Amino acid sequence: MKSPAFSYYQAKDLADAINIKKSDDDAVILAGGQSLLPTLNMRLSSPSVLIDIGSINELKKIKVEDSYLIMGAMCSHSQIMNNKEVNEKFPILNKLLAQVAHPAIRNKGTHGGSIAYGDPAAELPAFAVLVNAEIILSGPDGERTVSAKEFYKGLFETAINSDEILTSVKYPINQNGMKLFFDEVTRRHGDYAMAGLVGSIKQNNKINEEINLVFFGTGDRPNEAPKTCEYLLKNEYNYSDIKDTLKNDIDFASDISSSSDMKAHLSAILVGRMMKELN
Amino acid sequence: MSNLNKTTISMIINNEDYNDLNVETRQHLGDFLRDLGFKGTHLGCEQGACGACNVLVDGESVRSCLMLAVQANGKNITTVEGLNSSEMEIVKDCFVKNNAMQCGFCSSGMLMTTYEIVKSNRKYSREEIREMISGNYCRCTGYQAIVDAVEDSLNKINVGV
Repeated sequence: MKSPAFSYYQAKDLADAINIKKSDDDAVILAGGQSLLPTLNMRLSSPSVLIDIGSINELKKIKVEDSYLIMGAMCSHSQIMNNKEVNEKFPILNKLLAQVAHPAIRNKGTHGGSIAYGDPAAELPAFAVLVNAEIILSGPDGERTVSAKEFYKGLFETAINSDEILTSVKYPINQNGMKLFFDEVTRRHGDYAMAGLVGSIKQNNKINEEINLVFFGTGDRPNEAPKTCEYLLKNEYNYSDIKDTLKNDIDFASDISSSSDMKAHLSAILVGRMMKELN
Repeated sequence: MSNLNKTTISMIINNEDYNDLNVETRQHLGDFLRDLGFKGTHLGCEQGACGACNVLVDGESVRSCLMLAVQANGKNITTVEGLNSSEMEIVKDCFVKNNAMQCGFCSSGMLMTTYEIVKSNRKYSREEIREMISGNYCRCTGYQAIVDAVEDSLNKINVGV
């Protein structure tokens, strides 16, 4: 359980970090390290250089600007949970982050790290997709913005190029009257979800006008479920129909804890909980 | 790029300065502290699951197996040997009185998490205490007594009252 050898470089600023990243394809960004260090300790990865961006203070800020809540990549989960602005604009984030690992890990784990790592079982990528977040990437040619919906390409695969660094995530504060939902089923508190759901409903005179569902722990990336959303706009919730429709939407991937059918079952249960809570 | 596999770091550990120590960049903080003689930091899983290796970095609990020693350069570290504020003396006393340890392997990590609970200065239900210590495994399964000890500590310190 000891990491292989690597070089360590503490970046002075963003330009410095991008320079090193550009010069070495095997260099890896070290943010909070709460996913990276276990993989190093287990020798599942062996980067040439770790570029530590932990001392770049501009990446540690939470701001409200132009109707966006902006999280710097190096904001820790604990910092976000304790931020007044976040708790006012997106109270659901506090509930969601309380399910991300444990206090000692949330003190170190970062927002940008979780979004950039793209673990399909993680909560934050699904949340970013649900609320239409914009992901800011910085590279040698400057900044570009990628919509969270376009960001996740496959298992741990994202739109980040090898010479780019994720610098912040922008959440549109105006969610058009959508009510948000989060729940997950885990075997142990703080463990990865067997299946999880972030969802939203917009109602007009108690009639559902729009429904969005994004699942995590179910496939190779955050999974949207457009057919199920459409079904729910026209029909009452019904477990077996929802489970069937979900199977049309999502290619449920089994893992060590549950079969793909089990994942579909849990997802259908979660949709039921959401319809009950938000209706 | 030059070989940066080794470097020199300095930090404060339990209020004492440690300067210009050589370290391999791949070494995690837990191993680094134990090599310096702080054997109260226990290494269980070394993948962030068990919580036995928790230490305080600038006053926040952190898994020392999931932090490189080089990342702690310039920081203020507290290991279980340095948990001696008057409040933590009460906590340790409550752990002893409630038999909140059997083999003791998890205790230093449990105390770090309890520090975090005490620091937040509010009331906790037993359920919330269980949630907070859910990141610390006790393989003797002494959780009941540990929850008792944390609850007892909070009552004695009058947290959130």
